[in-house]
Amino acid sequence: MTSAAEHAGESRGPASAGSLRISSRRFGTIDVLSDQVLHFSHGLIGFPGVRRFVVLEHRPGSPFKWMLCLDDPDLAFAVAEPADLVRDYHPPLELAARLLSTDPADIGVFVIVTIPSDPLSMTVNLMAPIVVDLHSREARQLVLEDGRLGVAHRVICRPGGGAPAP
Amino acid sequence: MLVLTRRIGERIRIGDDVTVQVLEVRGGQVRLGLAAPAEIRIFREEIYRAIETQNRSARLPDPESLTGAAQAWQEYAVDKRG
Repeated sequence: MTSAAEHAGESRGPASAGSLRISSRRFGTIDVLSDQVLHFSHGLIGFPGVRRFVVLEHRPGSPFKWMLCLDDPDLAFAVAEPADLVRDYHPPLELAARLLSTDPADIGVFVIVTIPSDPLSMTVNLMAPIVVDLHSREARQLVLEDGRLGVAHRVICRPGGGAPAP
Repeated sequence: MLVLTRRIGERIRIGDDVTVQVLEVRGGQVRLGLAAPAEIRIFREEIYRAIETQNRSARLPDPESLTGAAQAWQEYAVDKRG
């Protein structure tokens, strides 16, 4: 799998031709290249009307990335490549490639991370990963009908802290 | 809400492209066959709701929450290796 983050890159330089500026009350001002923009043509469940997002690196050593919305600058998520946070997760590359009419090798996969007030209880949504065609930048949130995959899978399992959610 | 009665095997058409067919009725369950273009997404209601709720609670309130998560993850990863 090609690293989606590698393709998504980071914001560089001042806003210029082919770049967009996101000005957010919460997340500051960020310039992104227009070819980094992900298009969710089906939107994101629960957030009707938003279509354009950009994925940016968090900071060195962090497995997390920002997913910032260009249509609503105060809307942001934490995402990660699943292999960086969980074991034994098989991203739906074939299904994604079929839906996005591309090759499985050109699919990037992210999972949305839910960070509660106690970050040790953070979870990832394995049932509904985000898949991206790294060439066209068309993106979808898939819904996997696999009873073993939860919407809130615990990332950090400590001894005595209970088993991770299914 | 529009309410229709159908027999097994009969269909309902929604718009020009979507059909719903009653395939089987057994016990308290109904099996439906749905045919729709690929761009129409079909979900079981409870799964749609679960993802909607999770997406909404995943919305980041501020940049600091990600910093806290990265720190928690880093400590956990060090513990696991040690």
